[in-house]
Amino acid sequence: MSKTASAPHRFNKSGLSLEKAIKFFFASNAGLTIVILVLIIVFLLKEGLGFFPGYRRELEIYRIAGLEFVDLSRQNLTTHEQLASVLNRAYYAEINGKCARELKRSREAAALFNAFSDQTTATRDLILNNLTAGIDPDSEMLATLRKNHAANVQKALAKLPPTPHLTLTERTALIDSLRSRDVTAKDDPPLVATLTEQYAAAQQVQAKPLAGLRATIDAFEATGSDLSTLVSEMTTAVTATKESLQNADILEKDRKTLLAAAARAKDPAERARLMADAQASLAEQADIDGPMQSLMLRKPTCIEAHNALRQTSSEILTQLPTALSQPEAERLLRAARKAAPVFLTTLGQAPGQISQWRHDTRVPLSAAIRSFLTGKDWVTGGEWQDFYGILPLLVGSLMISMVALCLAIPAGVGAAIYINQFASGHEQSLVKPVIEFIQAIPSVVLGFIGILVFGSVLRDLSQLDSLAWVPGFPIEERLNIFTAGCLLALMSIPTIFSLAEDALNNVPSAYSEASDALGASRIQTSFRVVIPAAFSGILAAVLLGLGRVIGETMVVLLVAGNRIKIPDFSSGIGAFLQPSHTLTGIIAQELGEVPLGSVHYRALFVVGILLFTIVLGINATAHKFVSRTQH
Amino acid sequence: MVNHLANIADPLPPAIRIDRLCFAYQAKPALHGVTLDLPARQVTAFIGPSGCGKTTLLRCFNRINDRIPGARITGGSIHIHGIDINRPDIDLQELRRRVGMVFQKYNPFPKSIYENVVYSLRLSGIRKRSQLDESAEAALRSAALWDEVKDRLHSSAMGLSGGQQQRLCIARAIVSQPDILLMDEPCAALDPIATLKIEELLHQLKEQFTIVIVTHNMAQATRCADHTAFMYLGKLVEFGPTLQIFQTPHDPQTLAYVTGSFG
Ligand SMILES: Nc1ncnc2c1ncn2[C@@H]1O[C@H](COP(=O)(O)OP(=O)(O)OP(=O)(O)O)[C@@H](O)[C@H]1O
Ligand SMILES: [Mg+2]
Repeated sequence: MSKTASAPHRFNKSGLSLEKAIKFFFASNAGLTIVILVLIIVFLLKEGLGFFPGYRRELEIYRIAGLEFVDLSRQNLTTHEQLASVLNRAYYAEINGKCARELKRSREAAALFNAFSDQTTATRDLILNNLTAGIDPDSEMLATLRKNHAANVQKALAKLPPTPHLTLTERTALIDSLRSRDVTAKDDPPLVATLTEQYAAAQQVQAKPLAGLRATIDAFEATGSDLSTLVSEMTTAVTATKESLQNADILEKDRKTLLAAAARAKDPAERARLMADAQASLAEQADIDGPMQSLMLRKPTCIEAHNALRQTSSEILTQLPTALSQPEAERLLRAARKAAPVFLTTLGQAPGQISQWRHDTRVPLSAAIRSFLTGKDWVTGGEWQDFYGILPLLVGSLMISMVALCLAIPAGVGAAIYINQFASGHEQSLVKPVIEFIQAIPSVVLGFIGILVFGSVLRDLSQLDSLAWVPGFPIEERLNIFTAGCLLALMSIPTIFSLAEDALNNVPSAYSEASDALGASRIQTSFRVVIPAAFSGILAAVLLGLGRVIGETMVVLLVAGNRIKIPDFSSGIGAFLQPSHTLTGIIAQELGEVPLGSVHYRALFVVGILLFTIVLGINATAHKFVSRTQH
Repeated sequence: MVNHLANIADPLPPAIRIDRLCFAYQAKPALHGVTLDLPARQVTAFIGPSGCGKTTLLRCFNRINDRIPGARITGGSIHIHGIDINRPDIDLQELRRRVGMVFQKYNPFPKSIYENVVYSLRLSGIRKRSQLDESAEAALRSAALWDEVKDRLHSSAMGLSGGQQQRLCIARAIVSQPDILLMDEPCAALDPIATLKIEELLHQLKEQFTIVIVTHNMAQATRCADHTAFMYLGKLVEFGPTLQIFQTPHDPQTLAYVTGSFG
């Protein structure tokens, strides 16, 4: 073949060279893409892999400076505080639940009052302050205020907040009084004041039978004070050690850079100067032994404090009531009662951990890798210690994707099946472009809609009394996993729809013809022949949709709520209504602010590598399914 | 056209009566007034040059042409066992259960051999395993495929040879005991040995079924068919017992076609 082509022939010379040029053009394009891809991977790896040694060193400092030792106690202190806070919330939930009527009435009246005075507050306060200070108000200012107030009243009248718990007489009276109210009036309107008083009085009445609980909680809160003092003392000490260690590291790094520069310098004078600088930058050996010794001397005190805390806590916690009357309070109390034994067990283990702890145990590289892959904390830029644990981000990404897929698979695949198998030509030409149009909405715009419309509507809905049975309701956060998942579902529906529709379209018509000829109905043909034949193509469509969802950044950054914390699964599927952060979101949010080359910067690159690997894996699997359909 | 049915001793009433049938694809007419009675429990072959409307006519019998948008019968009628099948209230699924079809290009489903065979039984809601097994075996035996596949009933039908796949399609079409079997060039994609097997099969099957077969192979028509219809340009030119059509055709066009000097 090549022989004939290369044989001299007077017709084929020019044709061949053009052909070659065209070939070369396309080949070079393909080549360029591959080169760029390789460069990206190399860059990612180069920037990312430096993370693990750097993180290892940080963890090492964490240990040898004694921060790890302090954290042994601090963790328990945090758990103690959390437990106390849950108890407090239970206490107030019980009281407020019992005076719910007063609370609602007082809130509604206040809302009505606010509707009339909202925008004028700042100026009004200024004038009032002046008045109390004996300065007469500027008449011009007063006039503007009056005018604004009048406009405000009109606006408020047009759109009054609902007050389902006030009687009609009360409402009208309040509105009338607010209408005619002077703008400089200081006191709250009588009804508002009365209702506030009533609420306070009801609270007091309800608090009486709960005095025992209050005392228990107060006693429990007080038990932590010894350990707390100890921890804050130790904190100051170890922070100083850590700082000096870090400074030594920086100086050492400078010295190495200078030495390297000196080795490269050609001019002898220049070299000498650099060498001298390097000498000057020689780090003083940070003094860690002294502080460490005094820290270790505290071990017995620490152990003692733990034992005391455990002793008193276990006594106090047995005095908790077994039940409360309000559901929310009861739920919190139950959570506290469940957490209490766990807390006591941990306290019991603490003395052992404390006495065994050693500052000179080596920190291997694998510890850094493990801490990254299984760490539950992603803490950065803190005063204390940075942790780069991927779990909260990974869990967030996965939960959001799960929500998105749960919604997008039925919608996208269902629409594809309907459009491909059952819709009339007219419906097809209407629905297909509409679904594909969703893809054209920029994700920022979608995120924006998500926050303003969807999130708010969801939150308002969750506050309806009639929906209180839904787990996780009422939700406090407008931005949460569920909202983000819904929007991502919307974004991935077109992908899933188009690809699934293609897969259905690619099923040879001979199959459906054979099925029809055997007496199958339309639905039978679709569900017994066409859809099974397209199954792997549909699966590929779903996987590619998943790839899109996991890799999406803008929407999750705007809508997921960006709280770096593994959601609390104790409330069941209510966990999906909590805010979360994601792999993509964290990179977008933090990469712009980190110092170049820092451990944090490199950590973000490793997150990027992880993300890249996940999406690559998903796409590769999808392609395997696609190629399976084609054979 | 002349009706030669009178010459043949035929105790059964015709299975399919076609009366002045006209058919069009959108604006394009494909059949012009075809009148024909197809005898029951016999093999009838449709022959004719490419594009003359054989497939179109065959596909009218189970109304599978309904799948093509715009294709419709524009005049005349088809009666199967006395029922006008072009009535709008006809139960298409029932019709197609009574009139089976085998396509030119074998098209088993991407399922196991067994599932292919029992497909139409499952459609009619039969779940009993023993009944499915029995019918499947009977159909596969009738299609002369049983011995070749009995050990791998549950492996994919896609792993069979072309001839086996076509016989599987025949088994699939006859498993629910239709009255009529339509075959559109069933051997076009097969080698001579596979063709021979299917022809033998036709001889056995006509005991039970009325068979209509479209073929381009004259020898095949003479070997298998009791009657032959010659079509040309959407019209039926001549219909009669196969021997008569091939040896003493009445129409000069038929003569030209069967002697190969057509053109
Ligand atoms: N789906 C279709 N849409 C439009 N016209 C069609 C369609 N199918 C067939 N035709 C036309 O109808 C006429 C008859 O076609 P048909 O397929 O019945 O011929 P045939 O006799 O089976 O030919 P062959 O021997 O090549 O299979 C032809 O002119 C063809 O172009
Ligand atoms: Mg044909």
